[in-house]
Amino acid sequence: MSDFAQLLLSGIALGMVYALLAFGYSVTFSTSRTINFAQGEFLMVGALVGLAMQTRLHLPYLGATVGAALAGVALGLLLEYAAIRRALRTGSTATWILATVALGIILRNAAERIWGTDDLPYPGPFGSDPIIVAGVRVLPQEILVIVVASLIMVALELFRRRSAYGKAITAVAADKDAAALMGINVGRVMTFSFIVSSVLATVAGVLVAPLTLVSPTMGTLLGTKAYAVAIIGGLQSGLGGVVGGLLLGLSEQFTARYISTGFKDTPGFLLLILILLVKPSGLFGKRTVRKV
Amino acid sequence: MMLLLRRARWVLLLLPLLVPLVTSNEYLVHSVLVKACIYAIVVAGLDLVVGYNGDVSVGHAGLFAIGAYTAAILMTKLGLSYWIALPIAVALTAVAGTGLGIPALRLQGPYLAVTTIAFGIILQTFVNESVWLTEGSQGIQNIPALRLPGGLDFEGNHLFYLVYGAMVLSLAASRNVVRSYWGRAFLALKGNAIAAECSGVSRYRYKVSAFVLSAAYAGLAGALFVHIDKYIGPSTFSLQLSILFLIALIFGGLRSIAGNVIGAVLVVVLPDVFNRFADYQLLVFGLLLLATLYLLPGGIASLGRLGTAAFARRRAAVRADAATMPAVDVPSAPVAGGVSAIATPPPAAAGNEPLLVTDALTIAFGGLIAVNGLQLQVKRGEVRALIGPNGSGKSTTVNLLSGVYRPTSGHVRFAGRVLDRAKPNDVSAAGVARTFQNPALFGEMSLLENVLVGLHHTFHVGLLGIVFHSPGARREETAAIARARALLALVGLSALADARADSIAYGQQRRLEIARALAQDPRLILLDEPAAGLTSGEIDDLQRLVELIRDAGVAVLLIEHHMDFVMSVSDRVTVLDFGQQIAEGTPAEVQRDERVIRAYLGSADESDAATPVETRDA
Repeated sequence: MSDFAQLLLSGIALGMVYALLAFGYSVTFSTSRTINFAQGEFLMVGALVGLAMQTRLHLPYLGATVGAALAGVALGLLLEYAAIRRALRTGSTATWILATVALGIILRNAAERIWGTDDLPYPGPFGSDPIIVAGVRVLPQEILVIVVASLIMVALELFRRRSAYGKAITAVAADKDAAALMGINVGRVMTFSFIVSSVLATVAGVLVAPLTLVSPTMGTLLGTKAYAVAIIGGLQSGLGGVVGGLLLGLSEQFTARYISTGFKDTPGFLLLILILLVKPSGLFGKRTVRKV
Repeated sequence: MMLLLRRARWVLLLLPLLVPLVTSNEYLVHSVLVKACIYAIVVAGLDLVVGYNGDVSVGHAGLFAIGAYTAAILMTKLGLSYWIALPIAVALTAVAGTGLGIPALRLQGPYLAVTTIAFGIILQTFVNESVWLTEGSQGIQNIPALRLPGGLDFEGNHLFYLVYGAMVLSLAASRNVVRSYWGRAFLALKGNAIAAECSGVSRYRYKVSAFVLSAAYAGLAGALFVHIDKYIGPSTFSLQLSILFLIALIFGGLRSIAGNVIGAVLVVVLPDVFNRFADYQLLVFGLLLLATLYLLPGGIASLGRLGTAAFARRRAAVRADAATMPAVDVPSAPVAGGVSAIATPPPAAAGNEPLLVTDALTIAFGGLIAVNGLQLQVKRGEVRALIGPNGSGKSTTVNLLSGVYRPTSGHVRFAGRVLDRAKPNDVSAAGVARTFQNPALFGEMSLLENVLVGLHHTFHVGLLGIVFHSPGARREETAAIARARALLALVGLSALADARADSIAYGQQRRLEIARALAQDPRLILLDEPAAGLTSGEIDDLQRLVELIRDAGVAVLLIEHHMDFVMSVSDRVTVLDFGQQIAEGTPAEVQRDERVIRAYLGSADESDAATPVETRDA
């Protein structure tokens, strides 16, 4: 039973990391109809920058998180300027896929040059010793991930629904031209959405790092799975990302424990294909009628 | 001169075969050239999906793995000869291609991309975990040598002969496919899927076919790949390899055979070139990729094409100039002599049931009932107008009749057949063609090719006939081109036959749509606001064209706001308002109808301004 509870908790924590990345995908997808294939690398950069802040500059965990967030701002600007804006002009799906892939490749290689290829441990704020709660071994970092990620997403969802800027994002997502005619600076909204998305990724990196090890290749698979999560939940839906993230995080943990670690990614991806075949817009996506 | 060029091409093709004779450098031939040829086969297959179908697959490494593992397992576990294992591997991979093709029917862009990624990752996991079948992470070793009778073999550098031959043949085959009606079907679906379907192209068939063909190429390449190291392991077939194939395709340039080869060579050779600064290899690779994407979006192959393209552009520009000059080269008036281009429909089978009958046809979008219980009849050979204020459900009716929308309830009977649930391409085959309110042409294709898509139904030759360019295939193509030219002449667009469809003027686009619709040999043609945006001179020409169509025995359902045009060309008029029929009769009767006047002008009090005019036009 305690084994089960532990798996549940780890699954939820992992799921919330996916959800953060997926939330980022959904923000940028809604404004630009693209997916950043370098999102996992952004997470990795966040973790490594955070690590450098803590070990070299001796900043506390919170300071390192702020540092990672600032790195996220820079990455978001770079992404939008160097990969997305130009790729969108060509109007081909392959272009933005490969442009963001290229950015990811470059970041990974650069990180290898700066930090080396080894797996590095990341000191969390509460240490790495589990605490026992009602007979269940609990990693404090897992609780931190769940709490912080939930807070971030609730705050962002409120921002999206309540604030003028959040509504501007929704407007751009619905209809770029109409939004522009209403006086919304579409270009700036798009840049902003990429900054938000990238900050989410780098902060997710600092959050997940104490649970895993840190290395230049840590983000690739995480990013890909979060992409699947975003699609499962429905790219246009914030809640969908959370549900999709939890589904994938839990299915991974339980498959690894009860079936085989080798197959741990399979249920999530099978689920993805099934959901897309039954409901192409994702679990929480809205259907759109095609117009002629 | 042409002959000389053609010979030179053959010599060029054979030239690489000399390489293994000139150098015995195992590394250059076996590792670089062989690999490049194999990748080129994958990339050419990928191009069918990405370049021609407009879908992006990031899962081709999975297909490549199926080909490689099938061949390797059949040889090592069952002891089959390679020459038996190879076709099985290709066939099995082709079948697996439906695993990508069927999702592609429903998904696009990021949705399809993630599905292909999932497909690749699931396959790699399966290979890694199914130790009983694939030896798991150990990989399959000791793949038997490739010996031929008579002491010949394809070992070492000799392998190059096999893979080079396979590459040349597969590239030639794909060239023949993309130049055939198949290739036009792919491009049409990419350009505008709904218009392609309404022109008689089955989306289901050609989308899935593109993926199946593409998979067969990946399977062939995979089956050849096993001989490079005589070993295969799961780590080769990663997401990164799928991305590498895409990179090769973009480096070389979409929709170019030369580009496919150049891209494949580049991704194989570049890592070696950068070997000196191996630590920064990926960084340079990434920057190079970005540079290609932005500075050379057509890929390296477009460099070679720049020269010829500039020439072609100049010629096209000269023609286009001539074309825009009024009534010099391109009279918009239909050429009467071209009438024979319209196929006269077969006579009525029996009885005098109208050609088209709708029975209580209804469609609701959520709470909005766009068409409500429509009872419409169109007789053989008549011009029936369907008018009504904006939002009255006219275009929705056209979409219902052409199979684009499915009715919520009610029935459509056409020439005795029930078409309620028919797909647009089946509706086209049954004899209903249509045009679109906003011209829906295949912009990247020429005018001639646009009409050829409408003639899709005249092609019957199978894939093998296309691949081998059989006499039957050539005959069909020649006949179709002649027919397409006649149709272009009929609508006065002959001079622009080779121009791109997205480069012509609005009125010309409308006429091209009519030519494409007539190409389907319809018994009924649905014209959705054909006069919108035309000058009055063009409308007169349009009227003559509609009369020509009617005289050829083709019935016309005309949706139109332009009342002078409607009243003078129609035999009968049906008036819709709020999705319901409010009047039906001859033009004169309808013009006097109180309800019609009210629908158009809002109130019966102003009946002085009795004729319905375009008051509510957008």
